[in-house]
Amino acid sequence: MKWSRGTYNPPGTDNKQEDNKQTDDANVPASLQHTLDNFKDCTDLIHHTFPEINVNLVYFGHLVGSDELFRDVITPLTNVRENEVQALLTRNQYKLTPDSKSLIKGILNGQAAIFHNDKAYLIDIYKPGSRSIEQSETETVITGPHDSFIETATANLSLIRRRVKSSHLKVIKLEVGEVSKSTVYLLYIDGIANMEYVRELTDRINLIEVDAVYDGNMLIQYIDDSPNSVFPLFSTTERVDTAVSKLVAGRIVGILDGSPSVFAAPSSFFEFMASPDDYYQRWSTGTAIRVLRFIALIITLTFTALYVSVTTYHYEMIPEALLLTITESRSKVPFPPIYEALLMEITIELLREAGARLPTKIGQTIGIVGGIVIGQAAVQAGFTSNILIIAVASSAIASFVIPSYVMSASIRLIRFGLIIMAGILGDLGIALGIAYLVVHLSGLTSLNSSYLTPVSPNNFNDWRDVFIRAPFWALTRRPTQSRSPNAVRNRMRK
Amino acid sequence: MLKVLRLFLTVALLVTVTGCGDQRILERLGFIQTTSYDLAPRKENESEQKLMISVTIPRPDSGSGSGSGSGSGSGTGGVNREFLTAISSTSKESRIILSRQTELQLVSGQLRNTLFGLSLAKQGIWKHIDTLVRDPSISPRVKITVVNGNAHDLLTKNYPFHPRTGQYIDRMLEKESLSQIVPKTSLYQFTKDYFDDGIDPIAPIIKEVGDSVKIDGIALFRKDRYIMRIDPKQSIIFALMRADITQGEISVDLSGENRNNEHVTLSSLVSHRSVKVTPRKGNFHVDINIKVSGSVLEYIGVLDLEKNKDRSTIEKLVSQYIRTDAEQLIANMQQNRIDSLGLGKNIRSTLSYAKWHKMNWPDTYRNIDVQCHVKVQIKDYGMFTK
Repeated sequence: MKWSRGTYNPPGTDNKQEDNKQTDDANVPASLQHTLDNFKDCTDLIHHTFPEINVNLVYFGHLVGSDELFRDVITPLTNVRENEVQALLTRNQYKLTPDSKSLIKGILNGQAAIFHNDKAYLIDIYKPGSRSIEQSETETVITGPHDSFIETATANLSLIRRRVKSSHLKVIKLEVGEVSKSTVYLLYIDGIANMEYVRELTDRINLIEVDAVYDGNMLIQYIDDSPNSVFPLFSTTERVDTAVSKLVAGRIVGILDGSPSVFAAPSSFFEFMASPDDYYQRWSTGTAIRVLRFIALIITLTFTALYVSVTTYHYEMIPEALLLTITESRSKVPFPPIYEALLMEITIELLREAGARLPTKIGQTIGIVGGIVIGQAAVQAGFTSNILIIAVASSAIASFVIPSYVMSASIRLIRFGLIIMAGILGDLGIALGIAYLVVHLSGLTSLNSSYLTPVSPNNFNDWRDVFIRAPFWALTRRPTQSRSPNAVRNRMRK
Repeated sequence: MLKVLRLFLTVALLVTVTGCGDQRILERLGFIQTTSYDLAPRKENESEQKLMISVTIPRPDSGSGSGSGSGSGSGTGGVNREFLTAISSTSKESRIILSRQTELQLVSGQLRNTLFGLSLAKQGIWKHIDTLVRDPSISPRVKITVVNGNAHDLLTKNYPFHPRTGQYIDRMLEKESLSQIVPKTSLYQFTKDYFDDGIDPIAPIIKEVGDSVKIDGIALFRKDRYIMRIDPKQSIIFALMRADITQGEISVDLSGENRNNEHVTLSSLVSHRSVKVTPRKGNFHVDINIKVSGSVLEYIGVLDLEKNKDRSTIEKLVSQYIRTDAEQLIANMQQNRIDSLGLGKNIRSTLSYAKWHKMNWPDTYRNIDVQCHVKVQIKDYGMFTK
C-alpha cells in the first residue's frame, strides 16, 4: 500500500452495508423512537422520562460524569415546569440536533440526548473513567519529567496544552475505524509546522478504511509510506516531553483515543536513537551517550554475525592471543558456527519474549533460568562456545540500548539476516547485508521526506543534533526534515 | 509476487551455488605459526638438492598431556603444539606432504615467522619468499629470520621457561626490534629491498644456545644471498646509519678512545640521519650525518656529569666511538659489495635514470668515499645532583 493519491483501493468490503445505513440516518429526523430502535438490545443505555414536563433523557451511564449529569441535566430539569423547558433548552450548552446520525454519534461520544416536543438536544457531559497519569514503563528517563500519556485522548491533549501555552497549537479532530469510530487528534503548531505535511497526514488518515484501530503503533502502519519495511517510519512515544519537542521541531503529532502511544511525523531513522535524557544532561555527557548508542547499534547488528564469519571463514582476522582461546572453546562444539549462533540467538529471543509476557515476579525467574542455567550449562555441555555466549549476550544488551522498543525489535530481526549472510558468505555476506540495508533505508520515506535525513540528503548543520548533542547555543535551527517555514529556533548567542 | 520469487531465487542461489565449499571452520584448522626452511641432507643418488621444511602448529591443550607437546610447566597457558616436517623439492609440495601427517586442514593465514637455515640462506632465499608473497592469505608482515645453524633443529626444540617455541621467537624479535637491536624485517620490507635498486635486504639472525634462543645480530644479504653478519653489539650503530630511530640504547666502552675503564650507556636515543652525495670525477663522495640525542643512563669514569665541559667531552668521545665503528662497518660492507644502508638510493636520486642504469652500481659502490659525521647530544643525566 504505497501512498500515492488517487490509486488507493479501500481494503475491506465489510463496511459498505454500514455506510448505506449511515447515509440513511443522515436524512432521518432525530426522534426518540428512532434512537431507541437504533440502540435496541444495548442494555447499558439509560432512558429517563420526565412525563410531567414531556422530556426524555437518553445517555450511557458509564460515559458521563454523574456530577455533571446532576448539575447540568437532572437538577435543571426537575426544577422547571413544562412551559419553562423550552427556554431552558435554548441555553447554549444544549445543542439542538436535527438529524438522527449526529444524535447517535453524540450519545456514543458520551453526550446526553434530551428529547422534548419532537426536538432533540445534546449536552456534553462526557467523563470517561481512566487510569491516572503514571510514569512510562517503556521509555524511562533518569532525570526529566516522569509523566506520560494515558489511554484518554482528552487527558493527553491537556498534558500537551499545559506545556505549550500558545494559541498557535492547533488541533484537528479526525475519526478512524468504521466500527470503533476512534478519535484521532492531529496537533501542530501553526507557523512552525509545514502545512503540506498536515494536509498529507489528514488525507491519509481520512483514507483509512478499517473496522477498528487500537493503538498508535497500529495506526501508523496504516498511514506510513512503506508498510512492508521492517523499520517504523513514524516515531511513537509515550512521553509528553518528547511529543512536545517534536511539535516544537515542526513535526505533527497524532493522538489516537484509547492509546498512550502518540506518534510524530515525519520522522527520520536517527530520531529513534535519541532519548530525552540526552537533552537533560550536560551536552558533553549527552554526546557521549548518543555516540555510545550508535556503537551499540553496530554491535547489535554485527557482533554475532562477525563471530560466525570469522570462525567459519576468516581465521586470519583473529589476533594470535585470542586464536587458541576461541579454538579451544569451539573444539567441543558439534555444530558449525552458524547453527550454534542461530541456536543461541533464538534462545535469547525466547528468553526476552518470555520475560516480556510474564508478570514481573515470574520474569525474574526467567532471568535466572535463562541467564545462568542455560548460559552456563550450554557451555559446559559443549553445546556452544563461551565466546559465542559473550557475543550473543553483548549484542542482546546492546539492542536494549536503542531507546525505541519498536526500532530495537526491528534491528534484532535484521541481525538474524546478517548472521545467515555471514554463515553463507562470511565477511562478504555481512558487507552485502549491510549494503542492502543501507540501500533499503535510503529508499524509505516518511511522509514523503527522506527517512535518512540529515545524512541523505546531507545536511551537516543537522548532524549537531543527530550524531552528537551539541550545546544548546549551537542548536539554532529546526531540523530540515520538518521543512518549517520558521526554521530558526534559537536566537541566543553563546 | 514476482519480487518475492526473485528474492527467494537470489537467496537460493547464494546458498546453493557458493556451496559453502570454502569454509574454514576454526577448530578444524591447523594454523601454521612458524615455518622453517633448511637444505635437506643430500642423499647419495639424488641429483637435486631437496628442502627440509618444518612447521609448528599451536594447538589448544586437550588435557591429556600428550608427550609430543611443548615444555610442560613452562607457563604456556596449557597450549600444546604440533610439529611437522617434510622433505621435498618445493615449499608448496611440502604442504601436501605435511598435510598427510595431520587431521587438521593446514592454513597459512596465521603465519608469523619464517626461519631460514644459514646454509640455505647462503644459496639464496628468493624463490621461497616469492611463494610466500604470492599467497594472498599470508600477511606481508610475516617476519623473515635467519638461523645461525639449522632452523629445523632450533624450531623442533622445546625451551623450558619460555612460551611455545614459535611464539617465543616471534615475541623476542618483536621486542628487540623496538630497541633497534634487530631490524623489523617483514616479508614486505624484504621484497621491497630485494627489488629496489640501490639497497640490499637485511634480516635478524638468531641462534640456539642451550635452553634458550639468542639474537645473534643482523644478516646482510646481497640480493637474496646471505653474505655477512653484524654483531649484536654493533646493531645499534648500524641502525643509526640506516634510518632515523626514536628508541634505543647504546653502551660505549671508551677504552678505544684512550680512556681506560670508562664506560657510558646512553638510552632513549633519538637520532636523525641525513645523507649528502657529492659527485666527484666518476666517483662519489657520501657524507652521512647522524645526530643523536639521549640521556645518560650510566657513566663510570673520572669525569663529572654535572659539569658542562665534562659532558661535552663525553659527547665528543661517544661521537668518536660511533664514527669509528660506523666507518669500519661501511668499509666492511663495501668490501663485500653489499649496500644494506641504501646509499645507492641516495646516489640514484642525484643521477638521471640513464646514467644510473649505465653505471655498474655494485662495482662503483666498492669505491665510493663514505664519511660519517656523528654529533651526540646528552639531553639529561639523571635527577640526582650532588
